[in-house]
Amino acid sequence: MKHRSCRLSALVLLGLCASLFSAGADAKNITLQYWSWDSSVKKQNEEIIAKFEAENPGVKVELTTLETTEYWVKLRLLANQGKLPDIFNMSSGYLEEWAKAGFVKDLTKDIQDDLDKETFYMNTLDVGRDIAGTGKYCALPYALVTTVLFYNKDMFDKAGIAYPDKNWTWDDFRKAAKKLTIVKDGKVEQYGFWFFGRYTNVESWIFANNGNLVDQATHTYKPDANAIEAMKFLCDLVTKDKVAPAKKEMGAYRYQDVFPQGVAAMWVDGSWFIDNNRTIIGDKFKWDIAEVPVGPHGDGKTAYGWPDFVALSPNSPNSAMAWKFAKFVCGQGVSIDMYMAGKIPTYKPLTESPAFLEKDKQPANKGLLITQVQQKTLKTSYTQGWSEWRGYGPAENLGLNGIIDAIIDGGMTFDEGMKKADVNINAILKRYYK
Amino acid sequence: MGKAPVLKDGTAMKRIRTIIFYAVLAVDGIITLFPFLWMLLNSFNSEGNIFSVPSKLIPDLLGTNHMFDNYLTIFKEFHWGRYTLNSFIVAGLSALGQVLTSSLAGFAFATMRFRGKNVIFSLLLGTMMVPVQSTIIPEFLIMMKLGWLDSYLPMIVPSALVGSFGTFLFKEYYENVPPAYIDASSIDGAGPFKIYSKVYLPMSSSQIATLLIISFMNSWNDLLRPILYVSSDKWQTVTQALTQFQSQYSAKWNLILTGSVLSVLPILMLYIFMQNYIIESSVSSGVKG
Amino acid sequence: MLKHKLSWYRGWVPYVMLIPTVIGLLIFRLGPLLGSLAISFTDLNMLTPATFVGLANYKEMFQNPSFIQTAENTFLFSLVYVVGVMVLGLGLALVLNRKAKGIGFFRAAFYSPVVTSAVAVGIVWSWILSPRLGILNQLLSALGLNEVYWLGDPKLALYVVAIIQVWKMSGYYMILFLAGLKDIPDTIQEAAIVDGANGRQRFFRVTLPLLSPTTFFVLNVAIIDSFKNFELIYAMTKGGPQNATNTLVYDIYINGFIHFRLGYASAVSYFLLACVAVITIINFIFKKRWVKHQY
Repeated sequence: MKHRSCRLSALVLLGLCASLFSAGADAKNITLQYWSWDSSVKKQNEEIIAKFEAENPGVKVELTTLETTEYWVKLRLLANQGKLPDIFNMSSGYLEEWAKAGFVKDLTKDIQDDLDKETFYMNTLDVGRDIAGTGKYCALPYALVTTVLFYNKDMFDKAGIAYPDKNWTWDDFRKAAKKLTIVKDGKVEQYGFWFFGRYTNVESWIFANNGNLVDQATHTYKPDANAIEAMKFLCDLVTKDKVAPAKKEMGAYRYQDVFPQGVAAMWVDGSWFIDNNRTIIGDKFKWDIAEVPVGPHGDGKTAYGWPDFVALSPNSPNSAMAWKFAKFVCGQGVSIDMYMAGKIPTYKPLTESPAFLEKDKQPANKGLLITQVQQKTLKTSYTQGWSEWRGYGPAENLGLNGIIDAIIDGGMTFDEGMKKADVNINAILKRYYK
Repeated sequence: MGKAPVLKDGTAMKRIRTIIFYAVLAVDGIITLFPFLWMLLNSFNSEGNIFSVPSKLIPDLLGTNHMFDNYLTIFKEFHWGRYTLNSFIVAGLSALGQVLTSSLAGFAFATMRFRGKNVIFSLLLGTMMVPVQSTIIPEFLIMMKLGWLDSYLPMIVPSALVGSFGTFLFKEYYENVPPAYIDASSIDGAGPFKIYSKVYLPMSSSQIATLLIISFMNSWNDLLRPILYVSSDKWQTVTQALTQFQSQYSAKWNLILTGSVLSVLPILMLYIFMQNYIIESSVSSGVKG
Repeated sequence: MLKHKLSWYRGWVPYVMLIPTVIGLLIFRLGPLLGSLAISFTDLNMLTPATFVGLANYKEMFQNPSFIQTAENTFLFSLVYVVGVMVLGLGLALVLNRKAKGIGFFRAAFYSPVVTSAVAVGIVWSWILSPRLGILNQLLSALGLNEVYWLGDPKLALYVVAIIQVWKMSGYYMILFLAGLKDIPDTIQEAAIVDGANGRQRFFRVTLPLLSPTTFFVLNVAIIDSFKNFELIYAMTKGGPQNATNTLVYDIYINGFIHFRLGYASAVSYFLLACVAVITIINFIFKKRWVKHQY
């Protein structure tokens, strides 16, 4: 008799404890660490977090914001110690290295099962999978940037040329640049175009010509004929046609100020410079954006674009909630003011909302960005060690960037430059891809 | 008769030379001040105006109602007062600690003989020769093992304990002091610590002032360490806070430059204050000769 | 060495005085330094596990022609810097070592570039030196001369950046020399004047020799500082054009913090350390020949 009641009460007790535990687990607080490299949207991030915390009681998200260089140093140190934050910003430039080292969680299953694919531009997720090079999706994009052709409408009007459109060939472009270059007393007062070895300036034309810089199968630097045609076209604009300045001529300006200061009529660079243009140009002249002219071997279906991502720590104790937050911060939790002008949300409802077009501001053709993200195949030149062989950030004047600058500055011929690039860059790539 | 004109020419010449001297110095001084003035003027500029070429010499906000907008933004929105205080604490404690330990070490090196003296001094000098970027990662790991992350300890304790530059400075200076001082004081019954604190330390006021300025400046300008060792917003230093105006795609130069001006002012004020102290102390010390 | 009439300190005293220094040295300076040495024999990048690679990093350094050029740049830069700051620093200190009205303003003015951010200095000088619109080139054009690409010409850029660094840092060495000049008693100078020595003779026979301990100190500090030029290069030329302004410290930074090749960056650091150590040792060997103490 007593045994049975003891066993029964023990079972009841166990049952009670179990239910207490599970209830406790539900009510237990979860803290997520979220790392961002963008201090300009700190307030917006805090708002997003507040919204998420309101919708998910018991969850707290701690935000850390760092400037880019320090962000990567500190993040790597944490990865090294096995203490990565649950969710963190990840760039296209470093994604491959992080994915192959196993420091970003494989999101393929989450994306397949738990992502509303109708609301995201899948091409932006696909380009992430391609960059990572592991065949898996390792990061969720929240913004895309592409490259566009900026042009000065007032200068076009004065020269009596029609604005660029998607039918422009490279020949049309060169002819326009010639007409837009004004020389007085032997001094150039206005250039038709401006560029230097920067990746945004050069790859745009290579991809518009269906070219490739890197052979992704062998991980070697092997610019194909289309790529070389594009680079030669660009360099000739400076050395032969003289419609664009040598880099050393523009020492007085930051590279992003040459166009908005009215020194050059056209410029190809990242869509995010819409913001800088607005700040510096103000009302001084009318300007707009167009597609990068399609090259003789291009098909008009490719654009140079790369996303900014969020990635998840591979060993987060709260990976389900972290994934929920990642979706939130790339999608429904975000509002359009989170995006600096010229950055394209990868979340369809935002990009396709009327607010994105900013009809009251320049450029009038901002809808072009929607076309790019909706319709184009996105291509990039990223590999491991990209910052080293391409020349990026403080290493900008070295690598391929430096070589192209040397060509347009007259420090070496085009062929010498291409040869040097081949030798140097492959030596670098060999170190990363043994 | 002949003397008067010669004298007159003599003083006239001297006066002309003095005027030319001051004129050249003034021009050179202004040229040298120019980047600092540029920073200062741009703190009164709106964002779009800073990089215009040719540069507009007169900032567009100067003289308007919005003249101090950049400063107000920095102080109110970005809590600059707190960051400045943090920097003061870190740099001040570092500098004070360094003056004490370096002068003591310099004194030992300069006046005493002991085994391992050359080894220690060579190692001290050797550690100065490598840029901080090379040693910061191992240093971080050491700090992590000590449990000093997320605190000011990594930024204060090492500098307060050891200073290659400071020790070198005091060693050279103290080696130059006549041994008679030690002899006289020790006859009077003073021990080495007293000789250091009552004789050598007071007489090296220029060196103390110099080291204070330099050590304070180095600690104040250190960017790498606060970034790695300070996580929370409240405890950031000024240099660290400045980086938040730069993000991957844009930078707010009007705030960066205003912040730079505010960051430089304390150091300049310390410098001016110390300079006065050096002049006064050397006039009144009467130690020489 | 110093000779005293009696032993005025116990044997343990210097060691006690050096306790903070030694603790700090071992834990916080030597520790990381040796850590960096260990890293230089690996391929550490903090993401993949580090593997031991022996001398591979060092081999890569010396087989890379652009590294050789970087090393050459570094030593040329240092030469210009050391000579420049010592001459200019001493000159400014001599000129400003007087009690005159407003001298404090000048001392602050010449010190201001030291504390002005390298970014501001870089931007301002880039403008002054820029082609077409820069003041310097406009002056040259007005005189009928050709424009010079001060920062764009690979043959000139290194010297130009070095000179700007000299200009920026002279104030720092000025205060070091000022501190040293303060300790030269006025009485000695006055005695020399009475003896009929003119300015030049006084400078070379009296001031310089008495200043030699300070000069020795400043020389060594200048040499060590001459390699710390990352910020200005980053602000002005980023190592270009064509590697002309790439120096060892700049190389260390980009390899360490942009490419995250920490093993290689550490190897370059040790090469730098070795070079500076050799130069400093030579300095100390020759110290007795020209450094005169006052007594």
